[in-house]
Amino acid sequence: MRSSRWKRMKKNNFLSDEIGSSLGSISGPFSVYIHIPFCLRKCPYCSFFSVPATPGGCEKYLDLLKKEILFYRAFLGKESEASTLYFGGGTPTLLTPEQWEGLLAFCGENIPISPSAEITVEANPESFTERHAAVWRNGRVSRVSIGVQSFIDGDLLWLERPHNASKACDAVLTAVREGFSVSADLMFGLRNQTLRSWASSVKIALELGVEHISLYQLTIDEGCRWNSSPPSGMADGYPFYRWSQWFLPRKGFSQYEIASFSLPGRHSRHNTAYWRRNPVLGLGAGGWGFLGEKRYRNEGSLEEYASSVRSCGGSVAGIEPVSGEKAAREAAVLLLRTKWGISFDAFSHKYGQAMLDTIRDTLRREAPCDCLSETSAGLSLTPKGMRVANALWSLIV
Amino acid sequence: MEQQYIRNFCIIAHIDHGKSTLADRLLESTSTIGLRDMKQQILDSLDLERERGITIKLVPVKMNYTAKDGREYVLNLIDTPGHVDFGYEVSRSLAACEGALLVVDATQGVEAQTLANAYMAVEQGLEIIPVINKIDLPSSRPDYVIREIEDVVGLDCDHVILASAKEGKGIDDILERVVEKVPAPLGDREAPLQAMIFDSVYDNYKGVICYIRVVNGRIRAGQTIRFMATGGVFPVEEVGVFRPGFQPCDELAAGEVGYVVSNIKTVAEAHTGDTITDNGRPAASPLPGYRKVKPVVFCGFYPVERDDYPQLRDALEKLTLNDSSINFEPETSVALGFGFRCGFLGLLHMDVSKERLRREFGVELVATAPNVVYEVVTKDGGLIEAHRPSDFPEIGEIQEVREPVIKISLFVPTEYVGKVMKLCQDKRGTYISMDYLAPDRVRLMYELPLAEFIIDFHDKLKSQTRGYASLDYEFTGLKAADLVRVDVLVSGEAADAFSFICHRDSAYHRGQAAVRKLKELIPSQLFEVPIQASVGKKVIVRQNVKALRKDVLAKCYGGDITRKRKLLEKQKEGKKRMKQIGKVSIPQEAFLAFLQVEEDEEK
Repeated sequence: MRSSRWKRMKKNNFLSDEIGSSLGSISGPFSVYIHIPFCLRKCPYCSFFSVPATPGGCEKYLDLLKKEILFYRAFLGKESEASTLYFGGGTPTLLTPEQWEGLLAFCGENIPISPSAEITVEANPESFTERHAAVWRNGRVSRVSIGVQSFIDGDLLWLERPHNASKACDAVLTAVREGFSVSADLMFGLRNQTLRSWASSVKIALELGVEHISLYQLTIDEGCRWNSSPPSGMADGYPFYRWSQWFLPRKGFSQYEIASFSLPGRHSRHNTAYWRRNPVLGLGAGGWGFLGEKRYRNEGSLEEYASSVRSCGGSVAGIEPVSGEKAAREAAVLLLRTKWGISFDAFSHKYGQAMLDTIRDTLRREAPCDCLSETSAGLSLTPKGMRVANALWSLIV
Repeated sequence: MEQQYIRNFCIIAHIDHGKSTLADRLLESTSTIGLRDMKQQILDSLDLERERGITIKLVPVKMNYTAKDGREYVLNLIDTPGHVDFGYEVSRSLAACEGALLVVDATQGVEAQTLANAYMAVEQGLEIIPVINKIDLPSSRPDYVIREIEDVVGLDCDHVILASAKEGKGIDDILERVVEKVPAPLGDREAPLQAMIFDSVYDNYKGVICYIRVVNGRIRAGQTIRFMATGGVFPVEEVGVFRPGFQPCDELAAGEVGYVVSNIKTVAEAHTGDTITDNGRPAASPLPGYRKVKPVVFCGFYPVERDDYPQLRDALEKLTLNDSSINFEPETSVALGFGFRCGFLGLLHMDVSKERLRREFGVELVATAPNVVYEVVTKDGGLIEAHRPSDFPEIGEIQEVREPVIKISLFVPTEYVGKVMKLCQDKRGTYISMDYLAPDRVRLMYELPLAEFIIDFHDKLKSQTRGYASLDYEFTGLKAADLVRVDVLVSGEAADAFSFICHRDSAYHRGQAAVRKLKELIPSQLFEVPIQASVGKKVIVRQNVKALRKDVLAKCYGGDITRKRKLLEKQKEGKKRMKQIGKVSIPQEAFLAFLQVEEDEEK
């Protein structure tokens, strides 16, 4: 027992150092993702890492997080600065405004953040307060992404969300009023959901003043509570998605990514960094990162995270090097998530002309032409292509 | 034992009419088996038989019996396989006997199978002793059954034995009657050896064991014998009798039944019906009635796991050591990979073989729907034996197609006659005759294409007559029919695995069923996929698999790209394992489902 624990420490130590030095070798902008793994309770469809929040637990976690930040700070070069910061969860709003104040201040002091950086916090309606908003304002948070899911009480009840529709309205209104660029997450493909009820949720979000909408189809992944006994009667996702692709652009929201619509200039720069394979420093228990052609994940339980951070500063639990052909294929898939698609020059420069040709030929040969939009400069998916993106990606992955 | 004290007899009975239990009682009564060693249905040689309660063939047994006249007799019980697939084996077993017990269930009456075998016994000159079994059951109606045996079979039932094998009633009467009625075997013990093989089995230690009835002469260890049909010459290593295990003895002489072991490696060298003679002093001619049985029903056997191909081959080889009527040859299927095309005597034979492969050799396999062999005469006068649709030439080159036909006789309660006639007509049957066996039972005779019979005739007959009909059939040869090959095209490309042969009149109907089925089985693709059925160049049915409308699960938790990529890679892998027909990916399961449900199409 003791020796296997020791080995693990050695392993974490080794892996974290490796990621740290990758961080050190980048020059220029990078993104930071910070995971806050606390929830009031686990939603039945969620397979994400989270634990119930306890006052002492949050405090302890924040200490560890700070330690982890310090660990990576030591590797950072002078040139590099964070262009985006994203606090995701879990439910980040379960941290108290005071805790937020401390965390944001600590980040500001120990991570070089660009003056123009986009800083996003995920908020859940049941725990988001005006005091959070005020603290975030002071801490330079610019975006708030709210886990609305639906503005229909029946939907929220069925999803076992801890908030109702009026709470969701309040949350969005508060965030908009405080001057944040607000995004709302909405879910479709729910039981008893109709196109009419979906449309009303989308319209309410727009009327409340969001500038960005992320829409997700409910999926029952492995590891969630519903996985063992999936609910029946879930609506087919097609009409909801199809309608949104028609409706949102008419309201000025263009679809810039598979699941994301925004007003001009209001796309999520942090998420866009993912799709462009820009470097991401992932922090916190269950966080993911991407540095120097390596994708990595942190320890996924609070105990492992704590012991790893205490012993060696970082908590990297696994690294997957992605280079060569694998990197090119991954890049193509990620780029095709977005409306900007693959730029031929940039792609061939980064991954080689041969890979570009291979991928382009496959798509030209196997994909229906109304799914692709090709110019002399690049290739992207049409709205129809986005609807069947999985099938297209699996051709080239 | 002197010939005059030997009685060789068999039991003719329908499945479930109590043959195995009756045999058990005879063994007990003659103390052939001590009570201590008695297990249920001791002569059912295969586990499978005991379990399914159907007996394909009982092992033979020699019983000693002291009759009421005070003399000791030897009674040899030889079984007849109780299923229509094994008509030839029945005839050989009958040929080894001088008498037969005709066992009829007192609650059921005479069934088609029983009648056919009884007639065969009469034809071969056997003395028939009618036995009505299960008279203990409350629903038994012996009087009715007696009348039926008299009317239908035409046997005199003045001395019918009423028995209950279960309760041991009538057993002594049966033994006594066998001694009294069944003639003692004839044959000249000093003549050159003639012994008929009525069965052979493979034993891991002894090699092939031939079950024989000595007709003339004598056979003993050390003798050199010749198999007159195959020409094989072997030394006799051991002769013996069935007790019911193998018990060696010095010699077997004319009239006796027993076994011979002579260093033969496969049962294919010892055909049922062949005559064994002395190599040094051969008989002038073989015993009559020998023929080589030919498989009539074919299907593909494929290992569930592709890597198990060699294992399946070994298992089939071992199985044919035991059962030379099975043949097999390698075959490749686009859907199922490497496997074997296997020929069987009939559907039950096929089923049992499949089950034995599974149980005795531990091979999990997929069986394709059974089919028959067609003869195709081409316009340039050639003759093609078509085992599968792809063997058919282009429609323009075909002069005539011939298919195997059977004469089927059905015993049906009058209330179901209409339904059964409809069934026969649906199956392209040609009416031959109908006669009343009893006021409420009818015998229907039809000529039926074997191909139609093997699809699902049995099941349909059972369900439409609630199990009250029974049938027997015999092959009557090949007959020309207006048969066509229906091709299935997926996205314009012919998909071999899905084509089939059927009558021109049902081409549209079955083509539609196949296309509909495929439409369900082929998942949506990026493109709309037309599925067509065609005869020659002419498309007769078309349906489209609609193009994929939506396939995007966008969730990408906090940048867990790895997970997303793995999912996509898995999807791509899955696609690689699918069979590509043009641009269309068809999952393995679709082929399997198609092959296995083909028989349901017409329902």
